[in-house]
Amino acid sequence: MLVCLLGILPLGSVTAADETASGFGEVVIPSPVKPADASACVEPVEVMRRDHMKFLTHQRDATVLDGDRETKYSLVGCMDCHNPASTGEEVIRYENPQHFCAECHAYASVKIDCFECHADRGLARSEQSRLTMNAQSRALSAHTFSHKLDQTRGD
Amino acid sequence: MATELDNIELRPARRKFLKSAAALATTLIAPGIILYKTGHASNTSSKNPRWGLLIDTNALSESDVDACVNACQREHGWESDPDSRTDAQWIRKVKLTDTESGHQRFLPMMCMHCENPPCVDVCPTGASFKRDDGIVLVNKHTCIGCRYCMMACPYKARSFIHEPLKDQLPVAPRGKGTVESCTLCVHRIDRDGGNAVPACAEAVNQGDRKAIWFGDLHDPQSEISQRLHALGAVKLRADMGLNPGVRYQGI
Amino acid sequence: MQSSMRYAEIKTSTPNYWGILVVLAVIALIGFAAAHHMDTEGHHITGMTNQVVWGLPHVFAIFLIVAASGALNLASIASVFGKQDYKPLARFSAVLSIALLVGGLAILLLDLGRPDRLIIAMTYYNFKSIFAWNIILYTGFIVIVLAYLWLMMERRMHRWSKPAGLLAFAWRLILTTGTGSIFGFLVAREAYDSALLAPLFIVMSFAFGLAIFILLLMLIFKLDQRELDDSHLQRLRKLLGLFTAAVLYFVIVFHLTKLYGTQNHDFERFILLDGGIYTLMFWFFQVGLGNLLPLAMLYAPGLQRSNPALVIASLLVIVGAFAQLYIIIVGGQAYPLNIFPGYIVESSFFDGVINAYTPSLWEFLLGIGGVTSAVLIALLGIRVLPIMPEGLPAEVK
Repeated sequence: MLVCLLGILPLGSVTAADETASGFGEVVIPSPVKPADASACVEPVEVMRRDHMKFLTHQRDATVLDGDRETKYSLVGCMDCHNPASTGEEVIRYENPQHFCAECHAYASVKIDCFECHADRGLARSEQSRLTMNAQSRALSAHTFSHKLDQTRGD
Repeated sequence: MATELDNIELRPARRKFLKSAAALATTLIAPGIILYKTGHASNTSSKNPRWGLLIDTNALSESDVDACVNACQREHGWESDPDSRTDAQWIRKVKLTDTESGHQRFLPMMCMHCENPPCVDVCPTGASFKRDDGIVLVNKHTCIGCRYCMMACPYKARSFIHEPLKDQLPVAPRGKGTVESCTLCVHRIDRDGGNAVPACAEAVNQGDRKAIWFGDLHDPQSEISQRLHALGAVKLRADMGLNPGVRYQGI
Repeated sequence: MQSSMRYAEIKTSTPNYWGILVVLAVIALIGFAAAHHMDTEGHHITGMTNQVVWGLPHVFAIFLIVAASGALNLASIASVFGKQDYKPLARFSAVLSIALLVGGLAILLLDLGRPDRLIIAMTYYNFKSIFAWNIILYTGFIVIVLAYLWLMMERRMHRWSKPAGLLAFAWRLILTTGTGSIFGFLVAREAYDSALLAPLFIVMSFAFGLAIFILLLMLIFKLDQRELDDSHLQRLRKLLGLFTAAVLYFVIVFHLTKLYGTQNHDFERFILLDGGIYTLMFWFFQVGLGNLLPLAMLYAPGLQRSNPALVIASLLVIVGAFAQLYIIIVGGQAYPLNIFPGYIVESSFFDGVINAYTPSLWEFLLGIGGVTSAVLIALLGIRVLPIMPEGLPAEVK
């Protein structure tokens, strides 16, 4: 926690365009790539920097135990936006220091084990073809920043 | 002196009064407790759905069952080398040969999604759990990888991940050191409810032909309930009283 | 009277003491390194599979846990049953039981698929699971026995040692029942599903714990050149014989009962007749070396005062213990589940076949690491605390 906070303090003073260190010797302040087509994240940047782990921890219980999958805090949603698989280039994996999550987590020295199990990249076209047509159309429309669909659950 | 005698005589009377009061209280409260317990015991007529599968083995050839297995593999991103003792298998093809008649048939076997799952009973952390809609899952966030559920499962439905994995699909997170099994394609059910079709069923139900039914066992009007009512089905290891949600016809 | 019994730490000038400690520590570290390797590589490097999910580490761990419960027996006999003759041994009995339990728990925890989630295991409880209860029972046991030990050693608190001993005694009976019930509650497998497993584990604990106790007692007294009169060993000899006979009794009743049901005939034939390694282990190692030969050595007329015979009998009981637990744990999984009676079953998931299991080096190292850790803790305990009586001379009657 403390390391997180110490790591985030300098981040707050750095804009997206600034990639070099400012008074930290040779340490490079991380600047993860933002997706080109989205205007904003699901929450403001400061909120995400501070609380994204809380959103994920809460959401994972909701997904596994209650079946909430269409929410804005879905990890699949994060990856679809922040590490979408592009057709031409190679997919960036978590082991790659340029992975969206790896950049800051390596800097803050906070080890995460999400990607031991979870997919560390968004759905690629080639992988999408593995699913059936129904599933594919569902997957494409599901990852929007909308709230969960109530009509599929009989509460 | 007199007061002592009075007390001695009163004590049996007091004891009798307390005994009969306790008996009266018990007879008044006990039926309430019993009714309360039976009311909460079974959920058969509750508003929660209970998802189940009905597999007609008469309609399944060997290649059909292979298709089931392949569909599950594609959907969830797992693979299994036939010689490997440690690769996970969420669903498998089982070949049955009757010892007396020699008759053979093939069927797919996966997690039975029992109503009284032994795997849920034995999990020390509660990671193995049953959802309100009857699907039995492993919460891999709290699974410590003790494999006790694998010891307890009467159907050998569960697998343990024995090595670090790569290339997991977004719909099926899976990783080293945890236990997993068939999820009844819960990611499809969560999106489509009763209209969902698990991948294995989708693979064999082509066109008009149907060999695997998926539906709500609690809904007497659902296709699966009607077919069960008409033709009946077999629960594997029924004597164990687990009431599995996956049932078979033809064996 | 024993109230004048004096206890003393083992002397540091004892030759070989530090040498033994170093060797034990090195082996323990190798064991932990093996566990780390299993954790990073995954369990595919072990012999455990999706068919045989618990293997050699669990054999070692359950042995240590069962022996831990039994090692406390001597303290219980002194405190709970008031037999003053056993009182000098009570402190070491308590220390040994804690040491064995810690060693066993270490193996279990390090074998988990996700040992980093230990904190989850300590905070998320499913109280219908006997495993969850065991976690509470094991940690509670350590606390209770530590308190019991202190109450025994602190003279001003001595009168509390009896209630503490009673609590520890009851707790360990529940703990061992819980350990046996890990298997006894598994209805799915023909090898388990028996209420007899709980009492079987209790008498096993008596025998295994006492065997280890005898061996370590004789070793430590010899190491430190303290007097150990045979009269004390005679009592322990009789107990070991009694407990070994009790284990044999429960094994016989277990198999006879299973044999009576026709549906179990195939499983019993597997264990008793044509199970290959399991049949060999059962008759030769478990019954022969583990029960019959020790009984002969303990009760044979010429050997009743022979200390070498006592040592060998104790070692044989331990050999038989491993064989018995191997058959229970691994043999019970090797035999396939009977899902389709009346059919021959074949599948890619090894349905319907006897499951093979070959222990790997990593599992063996982890198991040995746990054993050496336990002995290390016990030997350190006798150095740090006055646990051992200065001498156990012949009693004046």
